[in-house]
Amino acid sequence: MQERVPLTEREVNRDLLRPVFTTPLWWWAAVGVLSVAVAAGLGSALYLAINGFGVTGYNRPVMWAFLLVNFVFWVGISHAGIMLSAILRLTQAEWRRPATRAAEVLTIFSLLTAAQMPLWHVGRVWRIYWVFPYDFGRGIWPNVRSPLIWDPSAIFTYLTSTILFVYIAMLPDIAVIRDRATGWRQGFYGVLAMGWRGTPRQWHLQAVSGILLSAIILPIFVSVHSIVSWDFGVAVAVEGWHATVFAPYFVIGAVWSGVAGVITLMALMRWLFKAEKYIRAEHFDGLGKLLSVVGIGWWFFTLMEIIFSLYSKEAAEVSFRTLQMFTWPYNMLFILFFLTGFVFPVTLFLSRTVRHNIAAMFWISIFVNIGMWLERYMIIVPGLMRKQGLTFTWGSYSPGATETILVGSTFAMVALGLLIFSKFFPLIPLSDAKEGEVLRHEIQVGKVKVPAIIREA
Amino acid sequence: MVTTRVRHKWGMVVDLDRCTGCQACVVACQAENNIPINLEQHFLQRRAIEWIRIERYWEGLEEAEKTGDLSKVKARFIPILCQHCENAPCEPVCPVYATYHNNEGLNVQIYNRCIGTRYCVNNCPYQVRFFNFWQPTWPESLHNQLNPHVTVRTRGIMEKCTFCVQRLRKGGRKEVQEGKRLDDKEFDAQSGMFAPACARACPTDTLVFGDMNDPNSRVSTMAKDNRNYKLLASIGTEPNVIYLKKVDLDASDAATH
Amino acid sequence: MELTRRQLLKLTGLGLGGVLYTACTYDLSETRVESPTHIPEDLVAGLDTWYATLCRECGASEGIIVRVMEGRAKKIQGNPLYPTNTGKHRPGCEGALQALYHPDRLAGPLRRMVKGVGQSFEPTTWSLALEELSSQLAKHQSDPRSVVIITDPLRGSAADLMQRFATSYGARHVVFEPAEQTVLYETTKRLYGSEQLPHFDIANASSVLSFGADFLSTWLNPVGYMRQYGQFRQGTGRKRGRLVHVEPRFSMTAANADEWVPVNPGMEGVLALSMAYVIVSERKGDQSAADALTGGAGADALRAFRPGDVASVTGVPAEKIERIAKEFADHQPGVVIGGGSAGAHTNGLFNLSAIYSLNLLMGNTNKRGGVWLNPQAPLPELRAQATATPLGQWQPLIDDMKAGRVQMLIVRGADPLYGIPKALGFEAALSKVPMVVSFSSFMNDTAVYADLIVPEHTGLEDWGNDVPQPGPGFQTVGYQQPVVREYHERERLQADRGSRGFADVMLALAEGLPKVQQALPWKTSREMLMDSARKLQGLGKGSVVAASFDRFWIDLLANGGWWDTSATSTATPPKPSALPTQRRDPQFQGAGAEFHLMPFASNAMGDGRGAHIPWLQAAPDPVTTAVWGTWIEINLGVAKEMGIKEGETLRIISPAGEIEAHAFPHPAIPRNVVAIPMGQGHRQYGRYAQERGANVLSILAPAADADTGALAWAATKVRVEKTGRRIHLPKFEGTVELPTQLEEGAIIKTTKPV
Ligand SMILES: Nc1nc2c(c(=O)[nH]1)N[C@H]1C(S)=C(S)[C@@H](COP(=O)(O)OP(=O)(O)OC[C@H]3O[C@@H](n4cnc5c(=O)[nH]c(N)nc54)[C@H](O)[C@@H]3O)O[C@H]1N2
Ligand code: SF4
Ligand code: SF4
Ligand code: SF4
Ligand code: SF4
Ligand code: SF4
Repeated sequence: MQERVPLTEREVNRDLLRPVFTTPLWWWAAVGVLSVAVAAGLGSALYLAINGFGVTGYNRPVMWAFLLVNFVFWVGISHAGIMLSAILRLTQAEWRRPATRAAEVLTIFSLLTAAQMPLWHVGRVWRIYWVFPYDFGRGIWPNVRSPLIWDPSAIFTYLTSTILFVYIAMLPDIAVIRDRATGWRQGFYGVLAMGWRGTPRQWHLQAVSGILLSAIILPIFVSVHSIVSWDFGVAVAVEGWHATVFAPYFVIGAVWSGVAGVITLMALMRWLFKAEKYIRAEHFDGLGKLLSVVGIGWWFFTLMEIIFSLYSKEAAEVSFRTLQMFTWPYNMLFILFFLTGFVFPVTLFLSRTVRHNIAAMFWISIFVNIGMWLERYMIIVPGLMRKQGLTFTWGSYSPGATETILVGSTFAMVALGLLIFSKFFPLIPLSDAKEGEVLRHEIQVGKVKVPAIIREA
Repeated sequence: MVTTRVRHKWGMVVDLDRCTGCQACVVACQAENNIPINLEQHFLQRRAIEWIRIERYWEGLEEAEKTGDLSKVKARFIPILCQHCENAPCEPVCPVYATYHNNEGLNVQIYNRCIGTRYCVNNCPYQVRFFNFWQPTWPESLHNQLNPHVTVRTRGIMEKCTFCVQRLRKGGRKEVQEGKRLDDKEFDAQSGMFAPACARACPTDTLVFGDMNDPNSRVSTMAKDNRNYKLLASIGTEPNVIYLKKVDLDASDAATH
Repeated sequence: MELTRRQLLKLTGLGLGGVLYTACTYDLSETRVESPTHIPEDLVAGLDTWYATLCRECGASEGIIVRVMEGRAKKIQGNPLYPTNTGKHRPGCEGALQALYHPDRLAGPLRRMVKGVGQSFEPTTWSLALEELSSQLAKHQSDPRSVVIITDPLRGSAADLMQRFATSYGARHVVFEPAEQTVLYETTKRLYGSEQLPHFDIANASSVLSFGADFLSTWLNPVGYMRQYGQFRQGTGRKRGRLVHVEPRFSMTAANADEWVPVNPGMEGVLALSMAYVIVSERKGDQSAADALTGGAGADALRAFRPGDVASVTGVPAEKIERIAKEFADHQPGVVIGGGSAGAHTNGLFNLSAIYSLNLLMGNTNKRGGVWLNPQAPLPELRAQATATPLGQWQPLIDDMKAGRVQMLIVRGADPLYGIPKALGFEAALSKVPMVVSFSSFMNDTAVYADLIVPEHTGLEDWGNDVPQPGPGFQTVGYQQPVVREYHERERLQADRGSRGFADVMLALAEGLPKVQQALPWKTSREMLMDSARKLQGLGKGSVVAASFDRFWIDLLANGGWWDTSATSTATPPKPSALPTQRRDPQFQGAGAEFHLMPFASNAMGDGRGAHIPWLQAAPDPVTTAVWGTWIEINLGVAKEMGIKEGETLRIISPAGEIEAHAFPHPAIPRNVVAIPMGQGHRQYGRYAQERGANVLSILAPAADADTGALAWAATKVRVEKTGRRIHLPKFEGTVELPTQLEEGAIIKTTKPV
């Protein structure tokens, strides 16, 4: 569109590989700060593992809290990568190009972070491998009826396929770096490039596997958050969790928060890597449009969940909802959730001016994720506080320092992962950008020009 | 030998009209089952462990406030222990089979298998599962009291009422030795040496334990009482603990609550 | 042979296949290092033995059986044979185990070399300690009244021994019990002409009307009462009994009653007489008893107690008095029980006499479902009883102590410094006594003042016997035997330290005192018990009969005692004397203060004896679910008006002192009453009790029952002030305030009686 400037391959290479070959001071500073935060998080995780859950704010009956909230949150964020890459690739949305890599890598790091949460969350970390079919010899076999067995399977499948997906898409870029690198880097990238020479056959295979992987990953992506939702959905004992609508509700919520996460990331990349030429307002515009639909859809499910649960007017449900929405301090959290998770973003995303204002998009996307973190909290914690009609045992929860630090540091973990990744690989795909340049078209639709949809090889 | 003997199916009847809330069952269970000492801090942290607990519900508060007649206030007591559900929601969610149903109707907990996900406790509607937030410790001299037939649990795992399985096992061993089913009296709370500690202590005979498979046992007979009901029956957990309704002169039978 | 590449690959493949094959067909069970698939309790290890004995954790002293493995006691259960508790027990009973193995139990005698609190104790040996005791006793033989022995209430052989010791030596023996039963004993004596407390046949009664006696928690013989209460509610072959409970506090008995009648403190007697008025005027009672009780004047004699006239002073509406009286009279047989706070007023004897007269009015003595008189113990030496010394008689003793007229004070089984109202000045008097000896196995408040501590065995290590009070309606003697080797045996054998039985020590001391030795012809307490057992054997009846004494002795110990269900009381109660025609109102100390202070025994820890047991500290109070501390029950509405929230630290000020406790706004305590549990506020008493909470007994004003001189522990009025501090009240229930049940799917379902 209007901001787009034609670029030569040379320029593309120079711009996009700059972060790989030069290391600005801010990078070191950021890595330093984030490492300290990550170290603090891992330190508190170890402290927790060594001393046990006594050091947290967990209690009876709130036995799942901050760590599990954070788990669901990061699994949710991880959904953006596939959402953008696979769906947009299959539907051949042209504007996806600069966004895909970052989104996919965000998936990897948020998944790795998410996977840590259940690890620190169990009482005996050193036995966590028992959830894998590993130790039949000693009569340890996993219980396939348990969602906690589905979870690791789903997440590791998702993680594996995402890594593959990223890797295959990145092959041509790795080859470019290999060709420019010297010394040990040459060997390193040489091995990773697996002999990529850019022959037509290699391009063909790469494109086909990209499409195939997209098609395979899509059901995985739907299943992962469905399964995460079933951790809660199958729990007959917790009224606030036991809802059939959870799977689609969680999946669309994941897309909502994940794509918002991609916006945050893209804004940051644009500023940090000076990638204005590649990440342009049109991309924010596209994502904003997409999100306003997703956001409304997600809100529909939120309403459905509340309406369905209140329809029966069961006393325990009603008291759970009363707590969640009208009782101090949860009413404040609920209002905050409602405003940041729905009202602000959806209304603002409807405005074209806002969609083209990158700073605004950045802040709104942060809002969405504040709202979405709260959403998970509002489901998990008050649900446990008001379990069944045993009002005598109903309780409350306030997080302890240990889990708060750990949860806080997960944001640093993801950021650090992305920063370090950016040091080794371009966050904006070179080949895609070039391909986009080659296939660039705009077509007039009514008054506006939109990026053309082009058949890929 | 007793290979052909009919299996037991253990169950309990709790007659709410008898329970005074005296806590004898609670302390008896603590003593029998090596339950960690609940210090003040554990209560403040809301992590006290009581495999059987007495819940106390207030009633008539509004009426008392309206009329100023305090005698309208009622306190109701109910002992709650693991219901040993036939269809136990805690069981399928455990990823490592640390909790399962045995062939005598018990929901058993295998401590050394549990990894501490705390999923089972979320999915137990009765809130009778307890997580060891801290490593249980006793002053050295108190180790002398610990029951050698019961494991001392470690931190990070789940524990709960076992229907005093160690006592039932001893009864079972006697059955093997004698080659016959033991009389229900041996497991009965009145004087049976194999009856669970809580039932054996209960001074009002609120807790009646026995074999549901034996049609003549006290527990089977009482389970048929027309005051019987199951706790949170609508969830469909099919508990092996049957409650008998509290009798109240002011109860309106239509709304049986 | 040349090996081609192809061959090599083939062979490798075959080899791998073979290894895989064997590996896969290998019996998995053999590789199993440890199979975590069984609940460890599946494996039964070792055999245990159960021994019968008596519990010494509270005054009821019930029959228990103790599970012993490898010489260690593991579990306590009720003795199914023992008549008063028939196999059951209360929370307190398990405490004996933790007392036995308590980490802060004294491991041997301690001597203070320099007199004075704060001076340190030094370990000493039994021989030195006994030597010193003997020489002191010999020294004071010339002025025997300067030797004072304080014990808990004693029964059976222990009481006999103490009586013989004290009489032959000439020492003063005083008996301490924080909430003394003096008034109850006096009432029984006056109304029934019996020294024995009666047995209430609750199990067979149609209705029970109780005044002040928290018999479903701590009063007298709670296990026996609860046992019967179960029957009373849902026993087979009977209609469900009705319980009406009158008390100014919402006790456990109140909580379990069909109807709780909050009454103005001290007005229980007036209320009872008002009910008597209704019963007499409706001619519902026993006619001849009614005539005797009214001096032949009929209801007219009681007109001062017409419901309409006493409604305002008692705080109970006239219609309610009438209805309850009529319902009680219509649902016979019925028992009337009185005690607890009803007898703990300045008009205590008036109250209890009036209450128990209702029994006489209904003519229920020695009848099924009524009040059974207890027979005398089968042997004269077992009839001895050391019941509490009324508060009125403590003042002269304390004066003597202050004046230096007491040279030696021996304290056993009691912690008077903890329990006696501060105002009496016992603490100051204690420091004036040159030689204070404590038999406590824990450093308790009184022991802190001791010069010599000679720790006695705990109940599970000692010998003894007991004639239960109240008995089960027939002759019963319980026998107590050591069920484990004493915990500090090694110290005793190797270092002449450890613990010893109280009776054995007294017998050892008697050896140096010729006069006393004559009165105590036994070497050891076991011998003393065997002596009484021989006589029991000689009766040739009852639950244990044997030709040889050895057999008898073994059976006696194995059964936990001897009883004869056919040996019931033969005494005929005297003709009732006329009821008072005028009200006798209670007097309160603390004029102008707005709240009546109702101290109450903690359900698990009793009057404080069980405070050192962590299980009992952690056993939630049934009604408030509070643990590990001292709370004050204050009316919810009053608390709201005063701006008091749960856990707020309140200062409770009485004429005798002040303490602090944490507020529990209670929905069912009258507006003019506050209640505080006994049991906490020990200065010492081991790590679990020390400096925990406050001691409500310490702020009781020294009011006494006008007739018996017994401590009127419910006659203090207090002021309540906020301190501005607040804590989280440690308690078991969740964080929902005053949890009630949800409208639907109630947890506790109820139904109408059929
Ligand atoms: N409760 C109970 N007590 C019993 C028995 C019983 O069955 N139950 N059985 C009785 C019998 S039959 C016996 S033989 C005794 C055995 O009694 P112990 O001789 O006490 O036997 P263990 O406990 O097996 O082992 C003694 C110690 O030797 C150490 N040890 C192992 N290998 C070596 C080594 O190469 N060098 C050295 N220096 N130390 C080593 C072990 O780690 C262990 O700490 O117990 C007797 N006592
Ligand atoms: S009561 Fe709870 S722990 Fe027990 S079997 Fe049922 S679901 Fe499981
Ligand atoms: S806490 Fe233990 S028993 Fe419960 S679900 Fe997790 S592993 Fe299973
Ligand atoms: S049956 Fe045994 S384990 Fe269960 S509550 Fe009773 S005493 Fe405890
Ligand atoms: S021991 Fe019996 S009466 Fe006492 S609280 Fe337990 S169940 Fe109720
Ligand atoms: S009621 Fe008292 S005497 Fe009886 S067993 Fe319990 S503590 Fe012991």
